[in-house]
Amino acid sequence: MYNYSVRYHDGRLSIAHDATLTLMPDHWLIHYRDPSGELTSVRWTLPGIVTDENFSNLFIFRYGDFPQQTIECKEESLPATLKKRYPEKVFFKRRITNIFKLNNATIVGVALAVLMLMGLGYWFGLPWLAGAVASRFPVSTEVEMGDTMYDNMIQAYDVDDQLTAATNDFVKSIDFKTHYPIRITVVKEKEVNAFALPGGRIVVFDGILRKMKTKEELAALLAHEVSHVHYRHSLRNIFRSLGGYLFLSVLVNDINGIVTVLADNSNMLANLTYSRELESEADQKAMAVFQADGLDLQGFVDLFTTLKNEHEDVANLKLLSTHPLTGDRLRAAEEMAKRQKAVREDVALERKWERIEEDLE
Amino acid sequence: MEQQETRQVTFHGEGAKLFGIYIVNILLTIVTFGLYYPWARAALLKYLYEESEFEGSRFTFHGTGKEMFIGFIKAIGIFLGLYCILFGGVATRNVTIMMIAVAVFYIGFLLLIPIAIHGALRYRTSRSSWRGIHFGYRGDRKEFLNMFVIGAIITLITFGIYGAWLVIEIRKYIFKNLRFGNITFSYEGEGGAFFWLNVKGYFLSLLTLGIYSFWWVKDLFAYYVNNIRMYQGETRLTFRSTATAGGYFKLILVNMLIIVLSLGLATPWAIVRTMQFVFSNIHIDGPLDVNAIVQTEADYTDATGEDLADMIDIGLV
Repeated sequence: MYNYSVRYHDGRLSIAHDATLTLMPDHWLIHYRDPSGELTSVRWTLPGIVTDENFSNLFIFRYGDFPQQTIECKEESLPATLKKRYPEKVFFKRRITNIFKLNNATIVGVALAVLMLMGLGYWFGLPWLAGAVASRFPVSTEVEMGDTMYDNMIQAYDVDDQLTAATNDFVKSIDFKTHYPIRITVVKEKEVNAFALPGGRIVVFDGILRKMKTKEELAALLAHEVSHVHYRHSLRNIFRSLGGYLFLSVLVNDINGIVTVLADNSNMLANLTYSRELESEADQKAMAVFQADGLDLQGFVDLFTTLKNEHEDVANLKLLSTHPLTGDRLRAAEEMAKRQKAVREDVALERKWERIEEDLE
Repeated sequence: MEQQETRQVTFHGEGAKLFGIYIVNILLTIVTFGLYYPWARAALLKYLYEESEFEGSRFTFHGTGKEMFIGFIKAIGIFLGLYCILFGGVATRNVTIMMIAVAVFYIGFLLLIPIAIHGALRYRTSRSSWRGIHFGYRGDRKEFLNMFVIGAIITLITFGIYGAWLVIEIRKYIFKNLRFGNITFSYEGEGGAFFWLNVKGYFLSLLTLGIYSFWWVKDLFAYYVNNIRMYQGETRLTFRSTATAGGYFKLILVNMLIIVLSLGLATPWAIVRTMQFVFSNIHIDGPLDVNAIVQTEADYTDATGEDLADMIDIGLV
């Protein structure tokens, strides 16, 4: 019962000997007939025997210094016998990779469970982590970073100095309840758009100003963008997409370009849904600022109506839009406006708005 | 005339098993912030080797994650250093410093590639064996570095044309220094022929809207394989490719479908298909005495400390 048939390699020549392994109390005995027919035996003392870790059911043992001798055994009963015969020596360590010796259905099952966990990590863990990292980021560094980004990108635009001055003046009359230095730049661009950079820089296209009819509309837009700054949304977005990118590139490591492109795009889609949550958060904060300052929430209703009319022709693309569906935002704003009680007419702000309107002409 | 002896390496890997290894690797790599990478690589190579069979015996990869870890950390350190120089230079906004930083960055990379190839070859071969006989690579790092850098500069000057000759030079050098016990190798390709093969492949692929590219890939594979020679004493053995354009078409098309439709999850199955395709299309012709290969290579771990720096295995299979 202590005899096993094995293949033996002596480490000097590539010949494979069909040999018999006998498990002696304190050593292994390997005997075989060499090509000339002579019976040869080799003695392996226990401490020098090393088990080769592998994924298959072929048991491989090595012995001695380089070049090592090797035996390979296919008999399934070997591990159990070894355990019984030599209780003090561990030949087969328990390892996580042993699951690979199980059948394929189990492996795939385990793998799919792991994949699901990773999916959860990607959808829920990553945004949380991005938020946590962003919230620990020093404000001064963020402002510096935002300014560098601003310097790099503003060159691509044609800045309207007069409108910029007028809008910055307008901003001074509203308390946005944030400690970030809010600095507006108005650029000559037909598109109806505005965006915020980390650290308080906000870029407004004059195209959107031209569509506006009231000071509250502009105040609503600015309040919304300031909320992005205040909640560090850009920063969170950057960390989120960096983290997602890292995650996916590790996942698809060693794979050809197609998957990477696919992965990139799916990551972008994920970022967009993330952005929608951030947009809603910015809307809420902006409306809270309006209520605290006594500004008319009708501004939001008008702003969203303007945006809605503007994007009507590209309605089909709304699914991919970074902003929540404008219709939904409009309804939410109408709801809030209806419930608003005290509205204060701000004469100074009105005058500043008139100046902007003049500049626009 | 006597029937020509021919032999093949066969691949027995299974997609499901590879998938399991793959998933565990990814998970542990993520959890350890990438530090598990060397172990992941060792596991993958171990599996691919042990499922590769020649003359009834499997290959073995002896490398461990622990061994590769030092090289891995060094490589990361050098990469970080190079990127720091690049970004540092750009941050100064001084044009001269920026130019110097960019130059250092690219020169650094240019030097790093041959060093990494050399290190990986040396490490990988020394950790590969079949029936207990180890492979080996006896190339000299300085020599290889010189060849690579000079070749790269000439390639730049000639707008890439010399690239074909460089690739052949590199292959010749590597095969000349490759050992499997007392078996030696050589590569018989020529730069000129390789260059025209590529020119033809490129333009015909353009003209046929990419359809010819399958023939091009087939030709490149054949040019690689058919020019390998193996010597056992006085006996010369030749390698022969049997890959066809149709075979490549099927391999690439099905692999693409597998990968895209599974969003990359079924990649291990595609890898298995590729390995099977490659091995099944390489024949080793000639009388080889598979029982008489003599161990010749020394153990790499006995080498000096300098060689430890080479213990790196980058992603070239």
